[in-house]
Amino acid sequence: MKNSMWSLKLSTSALVLIPAAVGINYIGKLFAGLLKLPLWLDAIGTVLSAMLAGPVVGALCGAINNIIYGLTMDPISFIYALTSIGIGLAVGVMAQKGRINSFTSVIVVGLVAACVATVISTPINIGFWGGQTGNVWGDLVYAAIIAHHFPVWIASLVDEFIVDVPDKIATVIVAYGIFKGLPQKLTILFRHDNQTEQL
Amino acid sequence: MKALSLYQDKGTFIHRVDSRSKLLYILAAILIPAVLHGFTVGLVLMALSLFLLVVAKVIRKVIPLVGFSFLILISVVVIQGLFYPGNRHVWFALGGLRFYQEGLVFSAGICVRVLNILCAVSILVLTTRPSDLIESLVRLGLSPHLGYVLSSVLQIIPQMTSTMETITDAQRSRGMETEGSLLVRIKAFLPLIGPVVMNSLVNTRERSLALEVRAFSSRAKKTFLNPPPGGMVNQVLPIVLLLAMVAAVVWRVLQ
Repeated sequence: MKNSMWSLKLSTSALVLIPAAVGINYIGKLFAGLLKLPLWLDAIGTVLSAMLAGPVVGALCGAINNIIYGLTMDPISFIYALTSIGIGLAVGVMAQKGRINSFTSVIVVGLVAACVATVISTPINIGFWGGQTGNVWGDLVYAAIIAHHFPVWIASLVDEFIVDVPDKIATVIVAYGIFKGLPQKLTILFRHDNQTEQL
Repeated sequence: MKALSLYQDKGTFIHRVDSRSKLLYILAAILIPAVLHGFTVGLVLMALSLFLLVVAKVIRKVIPLVGFSFLILISVVVIQGLFYPGNRHVWFALGGLRFYQEGLVFSAGICVRVLNILCAVSILVLTTRPSDLIESLVRLGLSPHLGYVLSSVLQIIPQMTSTMETITDAQRSRGMETEGSLLVRIKAFLPLIGPVVMNSLVNTRERSLALEVRAFSSRAKKTFLNPPPGGMVNQVLPIVLLLAMVAAVVWRVLQ
């Protein structure tokens, strides 16, 4: 019997991966802050878990990540759980289809993740903040576009996109680097395509 | 063990209210101003939340929570005040920059909405122990497995933070640069995060074995450590909040 990647029955190892991945997200953000990098890098764990265990675990990981952030730091991040879920799903599907195998493909996956994040975040940004992201560079572009009388949604879309593209590409590169370095006895735990033979 | 949480143990009346009622309160604080348009409703609910936070003696802990969003709110006020598409009437000028009435009113609406939600969520976050919240979510029908995952995250993060400090010290003592130009700092990222990540992933293997040995994936019905919260307030409050939300919707439809 071959397991589908959409199976909602999660193994214990997949469930245990989630807290570790949320921790990795947290540590990534912390290190990025510590090294004063101009990126968030707060989705490394979500992307890594999606590569290891598929879209369902990736999405769960994204959701739980934002719920925990909401409970312990910034309540606004509850709403952005939708974005994290989208990133987890997108990367998980591409990884399980075997699309991630070279450096170029890693960049493409990063771009796709950035697009997904932008499409989901923009309506939230418009509804909540009137279209801004809170990132200085993105918001300057937003102000410039609005000042030239373009509609709010275009300004907001561009604002989010230029912030997301470098961040998500860097995130996917780091996650892929870690993924490649993992021993097989670990990655095999989370794989979905293992076959169960029945007598 | 140290767990990640904003909970403040002050033992007031608000602390003893069931987390189900607090969750419903957040829902009401978001829904009612959304259904009934206008500033006043949002301001009234925000005042109510602030009053409850004062009663719960946690009002000072709200400041860092609001602080997270404060910078964005300021930039919203500035950008909308200057460039809001519907801007017609100049309110005041500041060194050549003209702030418009419509944009400022629009951004004030955003501020009230965001602060209102922040205050309502603060009540839950500051006065409820995370483990109690997770337990009541499991009571409401969340899978106990996910309940475990949630509470495990709260314990894993402080553990990983301390591993992170150890690794930062170790790498620095080997002469790795963590300060300097952007390139130096980018190069430092992977050697810092790599060992923490590997470490935590290797731990997941042992953790899952330990859980399996204790029948984690058993399908038997799980029981709770603590009795369900009782008391008049916990029975009446959810009904009152639900009625308030229904009343708001009915009011809107009738108008």
